[in-house]
Amino acid sequence: MRFVDEFRDAELGRAVSARILSLVEPGEHYKLMEVCGGHTHSIYKYGIDDLLPENVELVHGPGCPVCVIPMGRVDDGMAIARQDGVIFTCFGDMMRVPGSEQTFLEAKAEGADIRMVYSPLDALRLAKANPDRKVVFFAIGFETTAPSTALTLKRAKAEGIENFLCMCNHVTIVPPLRALLDSPDMRLDGFIGPGHVSTVVGVRPFEFIPADYGKPLVTSGFEPLDILHSIEMILEQIADGRCELENQYKRVVPYEGNVAALKVMSEVFELRPHFEWRGLGFISQSALRLSDAYADFDAELHYEVPGVRVADPKACQCGEVLKGVIKPWECKVFGTACTPEHAIGTCMVSPEGACAAYYNYGRFAREKELV
Amino acid sequence: MNLSAATGSASVAAARYQSSATCEVIDGCITCGDTAVEMEIVRIDHARELALCECDAGRETVEIALVAPVAVGDRLLVHAGTAIAHLGREEAA
Repeated sequence: MRFVDEFRDAELGRAVSARILSLVEPGEHYKLMEVCGGHTHSIYKYGIDDLLPENVELVHGPGCPVCVIPMGRVDDGMAIARQDGVIFTCFGDMMRVPGSEQTFLEAKAEGADIRMVYSPLDALRLAKANPDRKVVFFAIGFETTAPSTALTLKRAKAEGIENFLCMCNHVTIVPPLRALLDSPDMRLDGFIGPGHVSTVVGVRPFEFIPADYGKPLVTSGFEPLDILHSIEMILEQIADGRCELENQYKRVVPYEGNVAALKVMSEVFELRPHFEWRGLGFISQSALRLSDAYADFDAELHYEVPGVRVADPKACQCGEVLKGVIKPWECKVFGTACTPEHAIGTCMVSPEGACAAYYNYGRFAREKELV
Repeated sequence: MNLSAATGSASVAAARYQSSATCEVIDGCITCGDTAVEMEIVRIDHARELALCECDAGRETVEIALVAPVAVGDRLLVHAGTAIAHLGREEAA
């Protein structure tokens, strides 16, 4: 298939891997962060870290939208889901994220009408099919997903659908990156930039990383050769003493992003003054809410939600994993109390979470390493 | 033309999520992560800005407002039911 086969070519992969080896200085340690959960998943799935020299370390970033949702927001959603006459809808992996008492899946088992949808448009269809009920869509995701919610809300408004509501948890990628870069326990040498977020926002918003923080960033695709090539480009910059923003994923990501998507987002959303991120705390202007023009669709204005901040379980170290301070297997409960079947932390819930990706693919390599 | 009735847009989702309760979704979360899938346009409903698109996993109805103008046979990058990038056309082998 076009854009797939050529980016999974084993021979080319070995060549890029050899080139990476030639770019690293023995005795130096290179710590690179892949911002996006999709990259984390590809890295483990294709064993990309096995193709890297020992002194090149990949750190998993905060780019999984499920992983960063704090428990308090799940509880808020739960309060709405339990209201009479509500059909509560959310994406599949959100169903298993634990709130302080239970997951949406458990609440559904107890009788709440909670349904999994694939897109916000599916939720809107449910609203049309159930005019006597309120259909609430629990919106999550970075800028990749926000346009989809925005278009659906525009459609709902244009069609005059009054029983469709949205609880907006959309987040933006730049503020948490800035927070990570400002964090004192962080030492990174470069970034593998998010691919599909950049399809929407473009690569321009990431210019501050090389400019203000002196770290190279390469926007990367998701196939194994994309990621290897991006790592090569970062190491090449370091070897040449350059620090730039480069776009490896030019076949998909334009410099300016998707202007139509940005326009519809600015029409439907506005920035929240601050938003809590799991493990990272409150970050200002890091999330979206519905704009005044769409206030009629805002579930948080329609229903009373507790809005209580809930501390993460003590045993859970998702915060440190999200900041790249520890590796998933270094968490106290990884693979024992916390597994994909019974997740304590969100990094294990979402298939894109670093812990789940590592649990599914990486733990076998780790076991081999320890023997 | 009612595309949603023709396809059942949840078919792709169902294929991917039928085992999500036991976390065997091994191809990553295409719904809400920063991951999108490449699909080809099969049919277009211009009036409603929707297109019926196809990939290996199945068919679904996709919002095309952000990538218009499009034509049957075009390849789109689709995320959560919305096309976020236009990838051109599949060239004949």
